[in-house]
Amino acid sequence: MKFVGLVFKSARRNLRRTMLTVFSVAIAVFLFAALRAVLDGFHAAAEASSSTRIVTIRSTSMIFSMPSTHAEIVRGLPGVRDVTWASWFGGIYKDPKNFFGQFAIEPESYLRMFPEIVLTPEQKAAFLEDRTGCIVGDGLVKQFGWKLGDKIVLKVGIPIYGREDFPFTIRGIYKAGSNAVDNQTMLFHWKYADERSVRPGEVGWLVSEIANPDQAPQIADAIDRKFENTPYETKTDTEKAFQSSFASMFGNLDLLLGSIAIAVVVTTLFVAGNTMAMSVRERTTEIAVMRTLGYPSHIIFFLIAGEGLLMSLVGGVLGASLARVLVTPSTFGGNSFMPPFGVSGRNVVIGVLLSALIGVAAGLIPATMASRLKIVDALRRAA
Amino acid sequence: MTMALIELRDVTKTYKRDAIEIPVLESVTISVPEGDYLGLMGPSGSGKSTLLNLLAGIDRPTGGSIRIGDTEISTLSERALAAWRARHIGFIFQLYNLIPVLTAFENVELPLLLTSLSKKQRREHVMTALNIVSLADRAAHYPRQLSGGQEQRVAIARAIVTDPTLLLADEPTGDLDAKSAGEVLTLLQRLNTEYKKTIVMVTHDPHAAERATHLLHLEKGTLVEQVGA
Ligand SMILES: Nc1ncnc2c1ncn2[C@@H]1O[C@H](COP(=O)(O)OP(=O)(O)OP(=O)(O)O)[C@@H](O)[C@H]1O
Ligand SMILES: [Mg+2]
Repeated sequence: MKFVGLVFKSARRNLRRTMLTVFSVAIAVFLFAALRAVLDGFHAAAEASSSTRIVTIRSTSMIFSMPSTHAEIVRGLPGVRDVTWASWFGGIYKDPKNFFGQFAIEPESYLRMFPEIVLTPEQKAAFLEDRTGCIVGDGLVKQFGWKLGDKIVLKVGIPIYGREDFPFTIRGIYKAGSNAVDNQTMLFHWKYADERSVRPGEVGWLVSEIANPDQAPQIADAIDRKFENTPYETKTDTEKAFQSSFASMFGNLDLLLGSIAIAVVVTTLFVAGNTMAMSVRERTTEIAVMRTLGYPSHIIFFLIAGEGLLMSLVGGVLGASLARVLVTPSTFGGNSFMPPFGVSGRNVVIGVLLSALIGVAAGLIPATMASRLKIVDALRRAA
Repeated sequence: MTMALIELRDVTKTYKRDAIEIPVLESVTISVPEGDYLGLMGPSGSGKSTLLNLLAGIDRPTGGSIRIGDTEISTLSERALAAWRARHIGFIFQLYNLIPVLTAFENVELPLLLTSLSKKQRREHVMTALNIVSLADRAAHYPRQLSGGQEQRVAIARAIVTDPTLLLADEPTGDLDAKSAGEVLTLLQRLNTEYKKTIVMVTHDPHAAERATHLLHLEKGTLVEQVGA
């Protein structure tokens, strides 16, 4: 349309101010898309978690452990098909800031119950044979530049594993077959850690495979009742619930990140709205002149609102594109508390729509002001 | 006698300021024939601009009727009035009022964007108007690259580009040096004689007043004399 050119020329009038508006919207949309990506990552992990796997932890918290003999008791319960266990190792690779998850697992059953951990048969065999072997996710391999056969050393992070360093050999590099597992974790033989533990025979948590997902609540109940009134009481829940509670260790992420996103967007709305109002006030005479030339008030309205929309959309596209390119798991240093995530196409679209919304909302009042302007008053003020 | 182009009957205008009514125009009756070049004079605050704004349809009278051509404009809706202005009025301001971010060409094109003319037709009209004001070579210049006199001539081109029924000018030479003012006045006179434009011009400048075919004096909101030519 012929008026679009006017909108562009108008936006160029005060280039610095236009740029500031564009960038503030870009930053808002960038933050919004990045926060959404993190949230989506957590939700996707919960969604992808298996409904036939239930997890048993100590009723107090997952950092307390329970005897490995619990596993045999659980295996005997009706409806339970398979059981495995794992412990949190918490070792340090070179520097505490190289944080990633390390699980001491019962290898055979664990790999059997987690088909999402994708390994070649040769690597799997090599891992099972080597007591000090480990398998690592391809995300970690990328982060640290490891390769098959590398020797890596973990310093002890939790004192129950003694003082001496733990050397490992990388026997396998796995890929994550779904969001239920992440590719930033190191897995190794539980026995290896247990040999040196001051509390041998203890495990962090149990994972049970059940025949029928509908029975999850009943079986979970049965497991927990089994250990009632023992020194090691348990709490059993589905993997999904476990994933969510894992995330909730950081507080209510949804609410926190959601509030941040809203605060940023609302602030930007005010900034953009104020900028628009300022530029309309400066242009009072021009608007009055255009009205004198016969421009009807609705076209004036659309010209001003269009300018707000244009600036916001440019900012939105900029911010969403940057988020898409820059926000990847490695943005957060490959922290293994973070599930794999990225800015989805859907979030790009939502981000751009959000910027459009900011633009329209910010332009609404100034555009109304401009279209309601009394021509003679505006001309008189300038003279 | 042919019907006058402009017919004002008992036009009054009062402004309200804090419940106090300020009468600005009191029972003004004028008729202006087509092709006239009318000069409006009078002391500051006598209501000249107010009267011109009423003729331009950018302000509304408190009472009376204003007919221009065959349209009674005092009863038109806002929207109809805007469309009427676009079609019938060319307005020239004292301070030129060009849009600074648009070139001379784009400024002159501005009123044509409201018409259904094609891009090519608009271009032809704009260049014709710029040729009339002898500024075709400045089409790509921005207002800040032009002198005051040139800016005012671009503004005149903008006022005539739609071939309006009526040209209205509020102290068009008020901000110009004598030489530029002379050029602008010559231009307005040519528009009147050569192009048969009806012009109403508010002015303080006796040199400007000389060029008009009729003069009208306003004094405290009433017409005091009409000098024929
Ligand atoms: N919007 C308004 N509100 C209140 N008073 C107004 C308004 N517009 C004009 N006036 C008053 O009306 C009177 C006439 O104003 P107008 O601008 O028509 O005078 P003028 O003859 O054009 O004067 P000048 O030669 O100084 O331009 C002035 O006293 C002015 O203060
Ligand atoms: Mg005046």
